[in-house]
Amino acid sequence: DDKYGTGNMAKKYSRDFLLKFADQFIDLPEGFEVKSDIADVLSNANISSPHLVERDSF
Amino acid sequence: SSKLSKGLVHQTHPLENSWTFWFDNYSAKSKQADWGSTMRLIYTFTTVEEFWSVYNNIHHPSKLSIGTDLHCFKYNIEPKWEDPVCANGGKWTITYGRGKSDTCWLYTLLAMIGEQFDHGDEICGAVVNVRNRQDKISIWTKNASNEAAQLSIGKQWKEFLDYSDTIGFIFHDDAKKLDRAAKSRYTT
Repeated sequence: DDKYGTGNMAKKYSRDFLLKFADQFIDLPEGFEVKSDIADVLSNANISSPHLVERDSF
Repeated sequence: SSKLSKGLVHQTHPLENSWTFWFDNYSAKSKQADWGSTMRLIYTFTTVEEFWSVYNNIHHPSKLSIGTDLHCFKYNIEPKWEDPVCANGGKWTITYGRGKSDTCWLYTLLAMIGEQFDHGDEICGAVVNVRNRQDKISIWTKNASNEAAQLSIGKQWKEFLDYSDTIGFIFHDDAKKLDRAAKSRYTT
């Protein structure tokens, strides 16, 4: 297993190891709030409507 | 496919440090807003899996609008000169043509979160500044006067990016006083 480096403390991960996960985690993390003030930096592709936070619906 | 993955329990890979994505917009700042007041926190991630979940949903530099600053800093370090951890620090910077920095931004992030730098403790975080003509990526560090550590970080960064031109290190103190006239104190 190549995920840990030789150091006895730090959790080291090589670029190649990290890249193996790139395509496996494409949904936003649970609990991520898509607030309007950060909408500009979000790419819409993987955002499904349940993540959207409605603030004025009550 | 997302439904399938939800049924599985993933083994997660914790990172040595927690990191926070922030963004800011330079053009908003110039509208007389206090510096930093337009800074927005995007998300703090603690595992390899969370990193990709966020990274895959935020624009890469080539898709960000002009004037955007996208930061990835260690948890509890704010990407500003005034932050006590950054106050005595400085930064290495690499400049790219507009829209040409996506791969290097990703490789910079992966090197940081994967703790590939020998002096990783010295690192505060990284930022990409998207401007009219160019994208700039900088790595911010803590103790600018520690020349050996800064040079090590600069050299390793160039190796990770396979970048061969000379890069310079500017002290935040100099940048505060001299703005664009600040000169590199170290080069590699």
